[in-house]
Amino acid sequence: MGILQFLFWLLSAVALTGAIMVLASKNPVHSVLWLIVVFFAISGHYVLLNAQFLAVVNLIVYAGAIMVLFLFVIMLMNLNTVIETRKNLWMKAAGIISGGILFLIMISVVRSSADMVSRTAQLKEGSIGLIETLGKVLFTQYVVPFEISSVLFLSAMVGAVVIGKKD
Amino acid sequence: MNAIILSAIWGVVLMFCSVLIKNKGVYRHIAALGLLVILAGNIHETYHGSFFNIDTHEMLRFSRFGLFFNTILLAATLLYVLLSGRDVEKAGGYVAEYFTLIFFVLCGASILTSFNTLLMLFIGIEILSIPLYILTGSDKRNLRSNEAALKYFLMGAFSTGILLMGIALVYGGTGSFMLEVPRSAIMGGYKGVSFLEVTGLLFLLVAMSFKVSAAPFHFWTPDVYDGAPSVFTSFMATIVKAAAFAAFLKLFEARVGDTSAAVDWKLLLSIIIVSTLLIGNVTAVFQQSVKRMLAYSSIAQAGFMLFAVFSLNDVAKEGLLLYATAYSLATIGVFAVLIKMKDVTFEGFNGLARKNPVLAATTTICLLSLAGIPLTAGFFAKFSMLSAVIKTGTYTWLVVVAVLFAAVSAYYYFRVIQAMYFKEGDAQTEEVTGGFKVLLIAVAALVILFGVQPQALLNWFYF
Amino acid sequence: MNLLAFDWALLIEKLVLIAIIITISLVVAMYATYGERKVAAWMQDRVGPNRAGPFGILQPLADGMKLFFKEEIIPNSSNKFLFILGPCLAMLTAMMTSAIIPWGSELRIGDRVISLQIADINIGILYVFGVVSMGVYGIMIGGWASNNKFSLMAALRGASQVISYELAMGISLIALLMLTGSLSLKTITEQQMAPGHYWNVLYQPLGFLIFFVCALAECNRAPFDLSEAESELNMGYHQEYSSMKLGFFLFSEYINMFISSVIMATLFFGGYDIPFIDESKYNPNLMAWLGVGALMVKALIFIFVFMWIRWTLPRFRYDQLMNLGWKALIPLALINMVITAVVILKYFN
Repeated sequence: MGILQFLFWLLSAVALTGAIMVLASKNPVHSVLWLIVVFFAISGHYVLLNAQFLAVVNLIVYAGAIMVLFLFVIMLMNLNTVIETRKNLWMKAAGIISGGILFLIMISVVRSSADMVSRTAQLKEGSIGLIETLGKVLFTQYVVPFEISSVLFLSAMVGAVVIGKKD
Repeated sequence: MNAIILSAIWGVVLMFCSVLIKNKGVYRHIAALGLLVILAGNIHETYHGSFFNIDTHEMLRFSRFGLFFNTILLAATLLYVLLSGRDVEKAGGYVAEYFTLIFFVLCGASILTSFNTLLMLFIGIEILSIPLYILTGSDKRNLRSNEAALKYFLMGAFSTGILLMGIALVYGGTGSFMLEVPRSAIMGGYKGVSFLEVTGLLFLLVAMSFKVSAAPFHFWTPDVYDGAPSVFTSFMATIVKAAAFAAFLKLFEARVGDTSAAVDWKLLLSIIIVSTLLIGNVTAVFQQSVKRMLAYSSIAQAGFMLFAVFSLNDVAKEGLLLYATAYSLATIGVFAVLIKMKDVTFEGFNGLARKNPVLAATTTICLLSLAGIPLTAGFFAKFSMLSAVIKTGTYTWLVVVAVLFAAVSAYYYFRVIQAMYFKEGDAQTEEVTGGFKVLLIAVAALVILFGVQPQALLNWFYF
Repeated sequence: MNLLAFDWALLIEKLVLIAIIITISLVVAMYATYGERKVAAWMQDRVGPNRAGPFGILQPLADGMKLFFKEEIIPNSSNKFLFILGPCLAMLTAMMTSAIIPWGSELRIGDRVISLQIADINIGILYVFGVVSMGVYGIMIGGWASNNKFSLMAALRGASQVISYELAMGISLIALLMLTGSLSLKTITEQQMAPGHYWNVLYQPLGFLIFFVCALAECNRAPFDLSEAESELNMGYHQEYSSMKLGFFLFSEYINMFISSVIMATLFFGGYDIPFIDESKYNPNLMAWLGVGALMVKALIFIFVFMWIRWTLPRFRYDQLMNLGWKALIPLALINMVITAVVILKYFN
C-alpha cells in the first residue's frame, strides 16, 4: 500500500464518517461543521486526482461561502435547542425501506458493473482539473452551457431581490 | 437558438423597464411585443435558419420538432399574456420582474426542446424551475403562497439532486454527456449494457417524473398549484409542463433503446402512468375548490401525456404536439376565467351562465376539451396518444384503463359545467373587459378548430 | 512497506522550513503588538510601553506570560468543544497561509538547492483565498459557542464582512492575474524581477488600492473592526474568552496582518525583489538572504501603514461598511477588470 492509497482510504473514511455525522448530529450547527469536514475530505480526493483547482474552488465556494451562509441562518434561527419533530412511525419505516432498497441497488450496481471492474482512477496525473485546461475547455467546448448558465444566475438573482426586498 | 437568445435578452430588457418605466400597465404590452418578436424569430429559424451563427459543439441540436414545440409554447405564452397579463399586475409588487422571470422560463423551455447533452438538460431544467419558485411565492403576504413556494423549492431541490446524480451515473457509465453516444465509443469499448447508465437513467426517470408531476412524485403539485397566485398556476400548469414533457420525450427517445435489454422501461412507465391516472382522476373527484380540482386534473393530464414517453414513436410525437396545444389552450382559458372569479369553489360558479354567458360558454368548451369530448382539440389529442400506444403493440390494456379514467375525468369537469348552467346562484366575477371576452372566444374557437381539423396544426409541423 | 518510501531529506527540509516560518510569524506578530502600542503612543504624543527592558522591548513577553498564567474560564452555558475549537481554527488558518509564500529565492548548500517556499503549487493565490475563507469559521464558531448575544452579533458581522470583501478582493486580483497569466506566487514574483519589468503596482494601481482596502477589512482591522466595536458590542466575538484562548484570537489577528502584508508585497511590490539591483549578477546565497530581508522590510512598511490607518481613521458604521464594499469597491474592481481586459486584448495580444 503506497502513500497515495493510504491517503485515499483515509480521506474516504473521513468523508463517510463526516457524512454520517451530518445526519446523526442532533445539533444543526454540528451538522454544518461535519459537512465542512466532508468537503475537506472531498477536496483531498481532488488533490489526489491532481485537480488542484477543483479542490480549492470546492473549498472556497462550498466550505467558505455556502456553509457560512448555512451557519448564519442556523445561528440566527437559534436552532441550537434541539427540537425533535415527531414523525409518524409508518413514515419512518417507509423511509428506511425505500432508502435501504436504493442503497442495495447502488451497491449491486457498483458490484456488477462489468465495465467498472479492473478500472482504477488516475492518481497524481492527468491535467483535467488544472486551471489552464479547465479554462480552455470551458471557453471552447463548453462555452454554450457556460454562457447560458448566466441566465440561470440572473434569474436566481432577480428572484432573490424580488423575494428579499421589502414591499 | 433564436428563441433562447431572444427570450434571455427580452428578460433583461424587461428588467431595465422596471427601472426606467414607472407605469405598471406598460409592462404587459412590452412583454407581448417581446413574445411576438421571439415568435417571429423562432418561425424564421424553422424555415430559414437562425439569426445567430454559433458553434454549439453539438450541445444543442435544433430539430423541426423542437422548433415547432417552441412555436406552440411561445404562442401559448402570448395568449396567456394577452388574457391574463392584467392579472399579473395584481399578483404582487414587482410586475416587470415577474415578466422577466416568465421570459427566463421561456429561455429554459427552449433549451429543453433542443438540448443534445445532459449538461444542457440540467441547465434548462434549472432555468425552467428557479423562476417558478419565485413566481409561486410572489404573493408575499399570503401564507399559503409562501408555504407553496418553500415546498416547491425544497422538493425541486431534491429532484434536482436526483437529476444530477442520474447524470453523473450516466456519465460514469458511458463517458459522455451527449444524448446519443455511439455504442462503440463507450468507455473501454465495453459492449454490454452498463449498469451505471441504467441506474442513472432510472434516477433521471424519477427526476423528470417529478418535474411533470407524475405519480408517485406528484405530491408537491396540488399544494403548489393551489397556493401560488392563480395567474402563475396557469403558466406553470401549461407552458412549463409542456416544456418538461418535450425534454422527457427527447431524453428517453435517445437513451431508452440501448438499455431496454436491461430494464423493462415500458413496464416501469406503465406503472407510473396507471398510478398517475388513478391518483389524479380519483382525487380530483373529491375536491371542493375548482382551482385544486384543476391541479389534480393536471396530474391526470400528465398521465395521458406520459403515453408519448411510453410509446416513443412518430405518432407519439405528433400526439404530444397536439396534446400540448390542446391542453395549454384549454387550461389557459379555464384559468383566465378562474382568475376573474371571486370564489374559486364549485359553488362560486353557480349560475355563471345567466350572469355572464360568454364566460360560461367558453369555459364549457375548454372543459369539454380537457375531458376529451369529440369536436374539441382534447379529443384528437387523447386519441392520438392512445393510437400511439396501440401502434407499439404491447400493453394495449393501457388503452382501456386510459379510456376508463377519461370517463372519470368527465365527471369532475362536468360538475363545473353543471354548476354554471343548472344551479341557481350568484356567481361573482371581477370586471371583465370586452377584449378579454373576444380573446376567450378566440381561444374557444381554436379549441374547436383543432378539434375538427387537427391536421391544421400538424400540417404546419410538416410544411 | 513502501509507505515509508519517499524523500526523507525533502520532508525534513520542509519541516525545518515550516518551523522557521511559523516561529518568524509568531515573533513578528508578537512584536507587532509592541509596535502597535508604540505607534499609537507616538501618534498620540505619548511614550508607550517602556518598563520591561530597554524601550519596553520585553513587553510582548510580559504580555504573553500574563495571558498564559491567567485563569482559564469556559462559560457554563457554552458549547465546550466548539468554544475551544474557535480560537484554534483562527490560529490554524492564520498560520496555513504562509505555506505558499515565496520568502526568498533559493539557497544553495553544497549540491542541495533549498527553495525558500514551502510549496509552490500552481493555484497559489487561490489557496490563500481558500484558507482566508476558512478563517471566518474561527470567528463564527467562537462567537456562537460563547452563547452570548454580543459575541454572536459580532461574529455574524465579522463573517459577513469578510465574505463581502472577499468578492471585491477576488475581482481586483483577476485583473492582476490577467497580467501575470499565472496563479503561482513564485512565478508572479519572478515576473516582476525580470529585467524590463516593473512592479505590478505600476500596472495595477487601482487594483492594489482595492486589494489594500479589502485586506484591511479581511483582517478585521480598523477602520473596519466592526466585529470588535467596543462601543456597540462590548468586546466583540471574544467577549467570553480569557487566558491564552483570547491570546490566540488576538494573535491570529496580528499574524493575519503580517501575512496579508507579505502577500501584498509579493503580488504588487515585487516580493523578495530588491529594487534597482539585478540579483543574478551577485552571489545567489547572499542575494537570497538579502531578498528575504527586502520582503520583510516591505511587509513591515505595510504593517506600519495598517497601524497608521488604525490610529488615524475612525471606525465605519456597519451600513457604511457594507455600502463601501458592495456599492463602491465591487463596481470599481469590475471596471478595473474590464479596462485591464480590454487593454490586454487590444495592445498585448
